[in-house]
Amino acid sequence: MSSVSNPPVLRLDRICFSYKENGFFINDLSFIIGEGESIGLLGANGSGKSTILKLGSGILRPSSGNVVLWGKPINTYRNRDRAKLISYLPQILNFSVPFTLRELVSMGLYPYDISPPMTVKEALDMVGLRNKADSHITDLSGGEKRRAFIAMTLLQGAGLLFLDEPLANLDIRYQIELVRLLKRLKGERGISIVMALHDINIALQFEKVMLIKNGAVLSAGPPSEVLTDRLIREAFDVDVRMIREPEGKAYVRYEDNFDERMC
Amino acid sequence: MKLRLSIFCVLLVLAFGSSLLLGSRVINPFTTNETGREILFSIRAPRSVVATLMGTALGASGAVLQGILRNPLADPYILGISSGASLSAAVGIIMGLTMFGSFTIPLLAFIGAVITGGIVGMMGWKRGGLWPERLLLAGIGLSFLFSSLLMLIMSVSTDEGVRRAILWIFGDLSMSDWSLIPYGLVFITSGLFISIARAKALNALILGDEFAYSLGFMPHLERFILFISVGLMTSASVSLGGMIGFIGLLVPHIVRFFIGADNRMLIPASAICGGTLLCIADLLSRSVAPPTELPAGIVTALIGSPYFLYLLRKKDVLGV
Repeated sequence: MSSVSNPPVLRLDRICFSYKENGFFINDLSFIIGEGESIGLLGANGSGKSTILKLGSGILRPSSGNVVLWGKPINTYRNRDRAKLISYLPQILNFSVPFTLRELVSMGLYPYDISPPMTVKEALDMVGLRNKADSHITDLSGGEKRRAFIAMTLLQGAGLLFLDEPLANLDIRYQIELVRLLKRLKGERGISIVMALHDINIALQFEKVMLIKNGAVLSAGPPSEVLTDRLIREAFDVDVRMIREPEGKAYVRYEDNFDERMC
Repeated sequence: MKLRLSIFCVLLVLAFGSSLLLGSRVINPFTTNETGREILFSIRAPRSVVATLMGTALGASGAVLQGILRNPLADPYILGISSGASLSAAVGIIMGLTMFGSFTIPLLAFIGAVITGGIVGMMGWKRGGLWPERLLLAGIGLSFLFSSLLMLIMSVSTDEGVRRAILWIFGDLSMSDWSLIPYGLVFITSGLFISIARAKALNALILGDEFAYSLGFMPHLERFILFISVGLMTSASVSLGGMIGFIGLLVPHIVRFFIGADNRMLIPASAICGGTLLCIADLLSRSVAPPTELPAGIVTALIGSPYFLYLLRKKDVLGV
């Protein structure tokens, strides 16, 4: 993924990084995120998806290489200015303080002194939670909670969204609902989305997919080129088969027939 | 919300006024004689001001600590600051130190608190920042150590000072006088001002460091600033009148029920309610069985705990 058709929003250029604790490393990682693009990061557990998202959003600092946001190194931005351009949603949303939905979502306004790009009501409207504005976040379902945090990032007004496994722990209905919401936001607001995920069928919905293995990009490009039987086997060490239907739709089938039922 | 905050302010004024005028002897400020004026200005007024300041500091510190440690059970004493202050003050009381007159014990308590806060801060520091879990464990560890040393000193001492030390540790407002108030006021208002100014960052820290960063804050720097503000308020509070339980732990939870969890309102409201509760507790502690005074810390817990349990039963205030 060395070139993009859309103007580049973020460029990771020859990034190297390692954790002191366990020696896990990212070596010579480069890619570009174009304006309005959606990229799905796929890879086995521990392959480096979350680390790549944290490096891209500036949470982790690379030991070498550059992260360039709208043409400027990310570390040269003032914190609040950076927050208006990039938003990061972590995988684990775990806290015990009972903020109301309104209180939580309005935190998206913190980087702003002047009028923000939208109001709390508009953000809640966009994720379909306006009628729950005064509910405590601790009382919401997993899917509603994720949507609430997405409303907060919308209010933040950032054009680039890093989402770390937002579909984790959601049932299939909420997964579909959330992917629809992200597609709609991307279409309406031109937001660029980079999302770590595990479901290959969901990855097929993205414009581009990056297969990650051992902290490096195994393959990147349109899903039709990247999500092949061979590359998936190489990334996950499992046998799968991509089924492509005549009308263009595709899905993945697990080749292991699970000989015996779990009783 | 602002209306509710205004109501809390009115309640504080009423509580402060009551603690000035009511008690074993009711004083009418317009008709009182010289003795009444003496009681009012030299005994009750400094005592009520100290109660307000301490309650304010403890309420605000509790709200801030529950946020930076991301733990609803945190209170200002969990960092061991009070244990360090108590050990230092108790040693001074038992040894009968008086080199700085009436300042000696509060000064010793303050020094003990600051040194303990420094040790906790150093032990909580790793990889360029303060980590909530490390702070919490360091505070608990030091608390146990200092409490054990305190018990050891008290158990081998037979002096009359032991009784006075015990009274001081459990919150003794009877020694309050005007001389200490300016110092307490400076530290507590500074800490309160810093906490309120950083309330947005505290909200973000509650969601986690990655969220805080994403919203434009530097998590380690913000946690350090807030830790300093809590250290200032707790140290000053313990030096003024010893340890008062309940306020720092439960007042923020009770206030959240009325005001919400947004720290921009929660910190000032917890400060106001903490001050109100301690004024009322002080009034009751000296009025229930005069001339005997109950420790104010016991009264705060006796008033507040049943109400808190009622709220917990009625509504989810802990978020669990």
